[in-house]
Amino acid sequence: MKNITKFLNIAYIIAIGSISLISCGGVPEENKASASTENVFSVAEVLEMVSKENDVTRTLYTKAIVGKGKTQGMKFDEDWRKDDVEAGPLPALFLRGVATSIKKSPVPLGLYLGSDFPVNAANKFVGKQAVLFEKIKEDQEPQFFYDEEQELHTAMFADVAGADACVTCHNNHKQSPKTDWKLGDVMGATTWQYPKDSLSYKETVAVLNSYAKGTVDIYMEYLDEIKAFEKSEKPVIGDKWPVEGNYLPTAEVFLDSVKKLSSYETMKHLVTMN
Amino acid sequence: MFKVGSLRKRQFIGGIAGVIIGFSVFYFLTLESAGEYVSIGPMNTGHQELSCVACHADARGNLMQQIQSNISYAVGSREEGVDFGTEDVTVDNCLQCHDRPNDRHPNYRFSEPRFKEAVKKIDARTCITCHSEHHEERVSVTSIDYCINCHQDLVVENDPLDISHKDLITKEEWFTCIQCHDFHGNHKYEVPTKLKDTIPMKVIQAYFAGGEDPFGTDKKYIGLSQSEWLEQLNNK
Repeated sequence: MKNITKFLNIAYIIAIGSISLISCGGVPEENKASASTENVFSVAEVLEMVSKENDVTRTLYTKAIVGKGKTQGMKFDEDWRKDDVEAGPLPALFLRGVATSIKKSPVPLGLYLGSDFPVNAANKFVGKQAVLFEKIKEDQEPQFFYDEEQELHTAMFADVAGADACVTCHNNHKQSPKTDWKLGDVMGATTWQYPKDSLSYKETVAVLNSYAKGTVDIYMEYLDEIKAFEKSEKPVIGDKWPVEGNYLPTAEVFLDSVKKLSSYETMKHLVTMN
Repeated sequence: MFKVGSLRKRQFIGGIAGVIIGFSVFYFLTLESAGEYVSIGPMNTGHQELSCVACHADARGNLMQQIQSNISYAVGSREEGVDFGTEDVTVDNCLQCHDRPNDRHPNYRFSEPRFKEAVKKIDARTCITCHSEHHEERVSVTSIDYCINCHQDLVVENDPLDISHKDLITKEEWFTCIQCHDFHGNHKYEVPTKLKDTIPMKVIQAYFAGGEDPFGTDKKYIGLSQSEWLEQLNNK
């Protein structure tokens, strides 16, 4: 009898403990909501989309801002952030600015730029990236692999010399290990990383938006830098471009042009869901 | 009526006393003013004024929910466990106050596959590798020879140094870059051009331990104070 009472007491305590634990409910699982939505794009498709947006943005910045800006006397420098340098970011640093902004966003997208002949030796490809970059140089086709250590889906895309500014700057740079670049050369590759193998429509749009926001962020930083110019002539910021004179477009005008140039390809992907 | 034995009476009183003491200790330790007793060590240089919550945010859910979720996770009926008590401190916590556009070595860059080997030697993807908190110092990394993991092939054209970087590297007469170059590039500092003017190792070590800043006090960006950080959070 005594043992039965003891057993019942323990059972009561366990039952009350379990009920009170269960009745309070657990902490909601964050990934439940996204897991229930349908994944419609493979990671490769999404990275190709965002890489194309990047190509358009970089080409526009390199040709229309840096290339034409230089003819108007505007300066672009690798040390553009230094206090005593009154200049804008070179295209590679523009891309790094975009990458920094993406990293600060909640979207888990990684973007990096490297080469086999980088100006900064620390940006030289090694290991798997170096092997895949050799293939990219042969056919300019993107390369995809899964980085098992970091558990990240990784894509590499050719970074082609598309403007005179790319070639002349790299050929003339004091620290450049290669000085015979020419237009059309694969000068390097962008590397993109994402943790999931497929993305929902919402996640895909978030990736594209984080890239676009990154573009605006770094461009805004450049415009802020101009405000602090003391010795150099400040370009007029509005709806005109350097091709027309000492002008620079606002971030909105710049982004609008990027969207006009890239949106058709991206939209095609976004609306053609099988 | 029931007859209560003296042993059972003592057990009852002991039980009640235990519950009261338990709740009191729990209450006291969760007070903001009890932070110094809960902290695992004194804060690092520049962080002395921070309260615990600046880095240790409350985890999602209440205590019971956290226990239930982690039991569910342990028995496999949930995909992921949850933080218990407070959230894990990550690099994002640090960057909320210390993020700056001019960082020469931003954490995120080291996530790229090409830094895989370097990261095995020094994990620069996170701040705490060099700035482990609660040690009452500025830099906690044990050896400062980490530059060699990425900059071993350094070439400096028009080298301004009286003994060239190339010679120093060839003769293996360099150990670190920190005696001339500030790692994060946040100081307005003229880099010496003569090897004799480099910052002595002892001064660097004193600086790491929390002493005077040999790169000067003129900085480009200053980390946010707790009130500035809170204000920023409120404005979001």
